[in-house]
Amino acid sequence: MEPGMPDRQKNIRFRHIAVAIDCSPHSLASLAAAAEIASHTQAELTGIFVEDINLLRMAELPFTHEVRMYTAEPEKIDPSHLERSLRLQAREAQAALERYAEQFTLRHTFRVCRGKVPAEVMSAALEADLLVLGRSGRAPACRKGLGSTVKCALAGNARNILIMQTGFPASADSTLVIYDGTDASRSSLAMAENFLQAGGTLHILILPQSAGHLETLEEELSELVPADLLRVEYHVLPPGVDNSTVLARYIHMAGSGLLVLSDRMSLPAETIHDLIGEIDYPVLLVRG
Amino acid sequence: MSLPTPLPPEKLCRTCDPSLFTFSTTAELGEQAGMTSQKRAFDAISFSMGIRHDGFNLFALGPNGTGKQTAVTGFLEGIAPGSPVPPDWCYVNNFEKPRHPKAMQLPAGKASEFARDMEHLVEALFTVLPAAFSSEEYQAQEKNIREKFQEQQTEAIGRLEEDAAKKNIALIRTPAGFAFAPVKNGEVIKPEEFMQLGKEEQVTIEKQIEELKNALQAIMGQIPKWQRETQERIKELNRNIASFAVRPLVSELSATYSSIPETVDYLKALENDIVENFDQFLEKEPDEREYFLGLPPGRLSMKSPSFNRYRVNVIVDNSRTTGAPVIYEDKPACQNLVGDIEHLSQMGTLVTDFTLIKPGALHKANGGYLLVDARRLLLEPLAYEALKKALRTRQIRIESLGQLYSLISTVSLEPEPIPLDIKVILLGERSLYYLLNDYDPDFSELFKVAADFEDEMPADDGNRLAYAGMIGSMVRQDNLHHFSGAAVARIVEYGSRIAGDATKLTAHLQSIFDLVHEADYYAGSSERDTVEAEDVQRAIDAKKLRSSRVQEKIREATLKNIILIDTESEKTGQINGLAVYTIGEQSFGQPGRITARVRLGKGEVVDIEREVEMGGPIHSKGVLILSGFLGARFGIEQPLSLSASLVFEQSYSGVEGDSASSAELYVLLSALSGAPIKQCFAVTGSVNQHGEVQAIGGVNEKIEGFFDLCKARGLDGKHGVLIPASNIDNLMLRSDVVEAVKGGLFSVYPVTHIDEGIELLTGIPAGKPDGNGQYPPDTINGMAMARLREMALRLKKFSAPEENGEAKTMMPAN
Repeated sequence: MEPGMPDRQKNIRFRHIAVAIDCSPHSLASLAAAAEIASHTQAELTGIFVEDINLLRMAELPFTHEVRMYTAEPEKIDPSHLERSLRLQAREAQAALERYAEQFTLRHTFRVCRGKVPAEVMSAALEADLLVLGRSGRAPACRKGLGSTVKCALAGNARNILIMQTGFPASADSTLVIYDGTDASRSSLAMAENFLQAGGTLHILILPQSAGHLETLEEELSELVPADLLRVEYHVLPPGVDNSTVLARYIHMAGSGLLVLSDRMSLPAETIHDLIGEIDYPVLLVRG
Repeated sequence: MSLPTPLPPEKLCRTCDPSLFTFSTTAELGEQAGMTSQKRAFDAISFSMGIRHDGFNLFALGPNGTGKQTAVTGFLEGIAPGSPVPPDWCYVNNFEKPRHPKAMQLPAGKASEFARDMEHLVEALFTVLPAAFSSEEYQAQEKNIREKFQEQQTEAIGRLEEDAAKKNIALIRTPAGFAFAPVKNGEVIKPEEFMQLGKEEQVTIEKQIEELKNALQAIMGQIPKWQRETQERIKELNRNIASFAVRPLVSELSATYSSIPETVDYLKALENDIVENFDQFLEKEPDEREYFLGLPPGRLSMKSPSFNRYRVNVIVDNSRTTGAPVIYEDKPACQNLVGDIEHLSQMGTLVTDFTLIKPGALHKANGGYLLVDARRLLLEPLAYEALKKALRTRQIRIESLGQLYSLISTVSLEPEPIPLDIKVILLGERSLYYLLNDYDPDFSELFKVAADFEDEMPADDGNRLAYAGMIGSMVRQDNLHHFSGAAVARIVEYGSRIAGDATKLTAHLQSIFDLVHEADYYAGSSERDTVEAEDVQRAIDAKKLRSSRVQEKIREATLKNIILIDTESEKTGQINGLAVYTIGEQSFGQPGRITARVRLGKGEVVDIEREVEMGGPIHSKGVLILSGFLGARFGIEQPLSLSASLVFEQSYSGVEGDSASSAELYVLLSALSGAPIKQCFAVTGSVNQHGEVQAIGGVNEKIEGFFDLCKARGLDGKHGVLIPASNIDNLMLRSDVVEAVKGGLFSVYPVTHIDEGIELLTGIPAGKPDGNGQYPPDTINGMAMARLREMALRLKKFSAPEENGEAKTMMPAN
């Protein structure tokens, strides 16, 4: 989020933002986004690094060999070497956090935990208003889908979750919000406005329950959307769409950046979670 | 023998009659008429410029200031505009061999156009290529290719992960790679738990993990191959997209320059290079400076060195040239002639590229004419050799001197040579021409034509009018006051005086130009609209006065009798000779006392100047000629039993030249005969063994030098100068000398033989021998003969053996 971002963003009252850092590209994108948001909301930023207990246990097994990425040669894992590597990663994560903290003048803390990664992240982020996660972690086969930590966060009860990925900034010149008239979608709308860059376009995807419901939603939106918001584009879905793939297609057609939605709208939470898995834009899941 | 009579005033200075000029001022004159005297040089110039064969370059030789450059330039300005305009030349990048930039020839005026078009092309590429590569189509295709690779990798590892999961084994990412570990309830088994398992189970797990590890290794081995394939696909895509974007722009340019095959070939190579290096046009981050300067994005990067490769370095632009170029290279250093390869310092390293190739005078004059001052050319290190090499090979090859002599140890360029078709005109003094001709075998091959400029020209009416025309042209050119006919006439007289010959005019036009400017200054300071003869005279006098300090010091010393010069009495063995001193550009005459003493001896004349090595070879030759004369005249019947010594009194700086040899002979005859010489005379002229008086130089300065001294002491009509009769044509004396002659106060005698001179100087006839070779006793020769006879007898007497058989000691006689 750049210095010229809208003032209304400052209305968001995040007091505490947590971000999981494992030095993967997605997690570094998450850290950048979290720092920007923390800067504009004057929130405290907590970086969380988890030393994976599975990794440490594996190193102690007598027969375990590591297949090196660029040589494809197997090599015995040395537990002390692994410990050192993890400490090094933790230091890199901390250094990255401190760089952003210095750049944006943030209050910040850095925690290193040891255990199962999803559980430790969720536990460390319990008090956070916003949990920022990379779309996928370092696991080999989760490049396309969601990482285990994100899955765990969606299933858990984190207040708001921002799922980032490389190649996208936290703030975008266009943001898409799904609106169905529920309180949760109203919160999403407010949050989307706040995340929109000055001069950017707000795409509103209206999800009516029935033909008559659309009119009501439009009336509500005319009151909810601020008059000074110059560029707003409305997209209306046929009543009764509840398929994540269809929704993903519509969102792709809108071609927006950040997707803002809630899993407490009229659509089932599973559909929303599937949608998050299918879409390849950053997602802000609003719960609070 | 009849004695020479004094020259009449009209013989002393040949004046130029202003009535010769029909104009009242030079304002009425048209353009300058040509000087007929330089016809030989003009013919040579015309021949050299007309012949197109190799080696017929020109050397214009003559003293400085004779208008060589003006004449050659004037001639070239006449013929060059009618000649065809030579083509333009430029250097472009050689995409295959960047160290060897390509020279490209384009029709006159096209090179700049081509350079501009290339700049526009690069500007357009900054728009077209980023647009093509940011298009959704490209992004989608690129993403697809990358996604395919990711999918390949993910699927392979995913399948392996699934296989492993079926066996309760997890694939785990480590900081440096991957590893397998047995899991239970989603967690890796603790080591102590594993150890509690049965041996067989442990072996099974280990075996399974070993198999999985091998499978993973096989997959990992595939990844570099997949990456390479992906990169190739992306490169191919990039090439297609870039080519599609670039081709229309390049095709448009190719069509414009389709008539120039070299350009079309270059554009093809350029297109390929842009396609290969398209990414340099995709600006990553906008430059902050562009924002502050209000420039469009990419503008500054376009100026960066990496885009130099697409620039066109125009080294010869003949878009504004009319006809063939005429270039005068004022500083003919090597790099100014053949061009240079400059270097830039970047991060402490010297770098260069073809845009830093700088043209030389040979490039600019190619197809035309190049004028170079020979002396300056020879003073510049390696410049003459470079010029010769270019003329010999008929091509201009630019070589960095620093590189050639390993002064710069960095990568440099070897630009393609450019064919040379040129006429070179060297301007220089004669001595340079003859030196080069003698010592440089290449010179006569390359400069086959010599235009020899005259130092002087006949003072005929045609050249006098040409002088007037030249002054008129100069007045117009430099915006001076116009000159009256009388003023021009005075300048013409000055021209004769500089030439040192009343029948000639100097061709050293620079002196005339200087006088014209000085006279203009005096006319201006007198608030006159036209320059009159008195302004010219004032300028001449002022010029003389400015450089007369030394002359005045010497005269002052003479008047105070510190330097002894007698101009009144009569003395035996003493005469006033005349010498010329040259200081800087000014010369002046000054009398000097020459004395002679004789004694018994063996017939030799001792030149004291030579004995002390203060006499030059020509002077010594003159003295030896005197011995020849004396021997022939007096030594036929009897031995010359004398020894004579000659000296220039109070001479402290050496003597050269034979112009005093007649004076030396007169003083010897005086010493021999005992006849005193009238000191109111001064003498100049050389003499031969027959006693004939021969011409000398600087006659005007010598006469004026003696005149000035006599005038200062008071003229009474006795004073005069004896000059060789053959110098009469050289007389261009000052008006005050002429006036004194007119008033009978001063005389100039033309002498043809030594016998005439001695009679004038002593008032005693020289005397002619009778049938027995005897001279009348009351003549100079008779008295000399008698004295010599007496000396011979005395010598004989002294040399005769005494009664005891010993010779007497020889004693000096006089």
